Amino acid sequence: MPLTLRAESASGERAAPAAPWARLRQLTRLVLGREGSVRRPVAFLVLAVIIATIITPDFVRPANLDSLLVNSSFLVVIAVGEAFVIVVGSIDLGVESLLASFGMILAWLTVFHAVPTGLALAATLAGALLVGLFVGFLVAKVHIPSFVVTLGVYWGFRGIALLANGGQYISPSSVSPARPFGFAGIAGSSAGVSNLIIVAFCVVVAGQVVLSLTPFGLWLRSIGSNEQAARRSGLQADMLKMSVFAISAVLAALAGIMFTAWQGSIYPDSATGYSLQAIAAVILGGIPFTGGRGTVVGAALGALLIGVINDLIVLLGLPALYEYIFVAVVLLVAGMQARGGPLVK
Amino acid sequence: MGRTEATARQDGAVPVLSVRRLVKRFGAVTAIDDVTLDVYRGEVLGIVGDNGAGKSTFLSLLSGYHHPDSGEFRYHGAPVRITSPAQSRRELGIEMVYQDLAMSPDLTVWQNLFLGEERRRWRLFLDRRGMRGQAREVLERMRTKIRPDDLASDLSGGERQLVAVARGVLFDRDIILLDEPTAAVSVAKAEDVLSTIRDLHAHGKTVILISHRLEDVLAVCTRIAVFVTGRLEHVVKNDGLTAEDLIHLMFGSRAGRPG
Repeated sequence: MPLTLRAESASGERAAPAAPWARLRQLTRLVLGREGSVRRPVAFLVLAVIIATIITPDFVRPANLDSLLVNSSFLVVIAVGEAFVIVVGSIDLGVESLLASFGMILAWLTVFHAVPTGLALAATLAGALLVGLFVGFLVAKVHIPSFVVTLGVYWGFRGIALLANGGQYISPSSVSPARPFGFAGIAGSSAGVSNLIIVAFCVVVAGQVVLSLTPFGLWLRSIGSNEQAARRSGLQADMLKMSVFAISAVLAALAGIMFTAWQGSIYPDSATGYSLQAIAAVILGGIPFTGGRGTVVGAALGALLIGVINDLIVLLGLPALYEYIFVAVVLLVAGMQARGGPLVK
Repeated sequence: MGRTEATARQDGAVPVLSVRRLVKRFGAVTAIDDVTLDVYRGEVLGIVGDNGAGKSTFLSLLSGYHHPDSGEFRYHGAPVRITSPAQSRRELGIEMVYQDLAMSPDLTVWQNLFLGEERRRWRLFLDRRGMRGQAREVLERMRTKIRPDDLASDLSGGERQLVAVARGVLFDRDIILLDEPTAAVSVAKAEDVLSTIRDLHAHGKTVILISHRLEDVLAVCTRIAVFVTGRLEHVVKNDGLTAEDLIHLMFGSRAGRPG
């Protein structure tokens, strides 16, 4: 007979139902996959929490943990976008400028021009989508390295953020009478949990589901792993590369909306340093610079780890410059990992 | 496994795939020079020739990786265009196994097997269980020890070869193109590859095989095409042929050619 196949293998595949915790493991493996272990970021995070608790017991107070999660939610959201970019082997340095400029644009639309909230939010996200697609076009079709294109985004959109209100911040009381943000509810809370935490959590879950359970996610990983093999399999590598920059830009704008709502204002220089922190979070979370594997959950854990360090620096009353030094160390460590250095198994 | 069935011989029926007056140039070099060839269903066609004879280019034209400058393809007698690897694979059932066996090293075997042609659940999601099971079945039927969840980066050269062929088996392609399948493989593993080719033949698949190893070609091929500097010089039945005969065809004819 021709080598036709039955729909499903009769052998194996249907493991006997096991103890609940084994089922949990099965589920974890299904979502996170053997190829994208999150053990290392989990271990780093647990270690950081233990050390933080020893240094200052204030760390584990619920109020502090809550503010830690809220403060980290913006970084978590942009780290998810960054994870998609790095999985295909590119990099996005522009996310912090997109966060600030789309936050400024949203505030400019709603405060100065009284654009209805829903329309302004839609315009913000749609604008980010277009920017992301254009960035992706320059990278995938014009073959400019993503490092260069997104460095241009980094400077250009910082400039746009400055231009939006002549270098000044925008808040509801930038006009008189004050015109409150219609989207302030994003920074409110539901059932005692901050909406910002809920949004970030949903973004992480959705990102992980897309990356590990859909064909699209598999295609992205295959491009980062071996682009030629992906092309030979008939994948539209250019379109897929464009799409990750669109995802990253839209999530950066979402983080900008969250940030503006939370702070009750937006500054042209908001979120300075977030791009490198997001990259550090992704690398720390187990996605190598070369792409091909890793998880969104790992990137989110990496962002939380950076959040823990930032929180600790605040609790100890240290100057913020330690934060920069920490990110530098993380990037060096991550670089060693990517090179197959001493930290790799 | 399968019931045995009298496989179609090259009985003068319509060829499954034909090329007519195919020409492919790379700059000043004419890699394929006016090649006309019929390929019949169920045959194992060997292509031999010295380096630069145009063997790999010929396969790359059939697989849609390169496009000819002139000439035409016929599929079951009807003219067709071969525009891309994906089109060649899906519309004509031609599976190309590349010499460098490029795979995504970070993906598992089943993910590599189904890449670009995933089975889905609820339209949006990967049918992981179904694909894994189907991959396992094919790999077992090919008598390999490769497991669907092995990472591609953990496979040996021979195992990669088998996985690449398994892709053709999995999707029931009719024509499988193999570019030097035994070149990067140990002698023991080469025998596995050859027995896989015999299995494909026994199941009525059409195989086109390039190899430098003439003993491999003689061991599995039913017909052998000899390329010399881009031209198809001889097509011979593998009927009591020896390696010396082939070498004579490959090099003896060149001596008679000008230049």
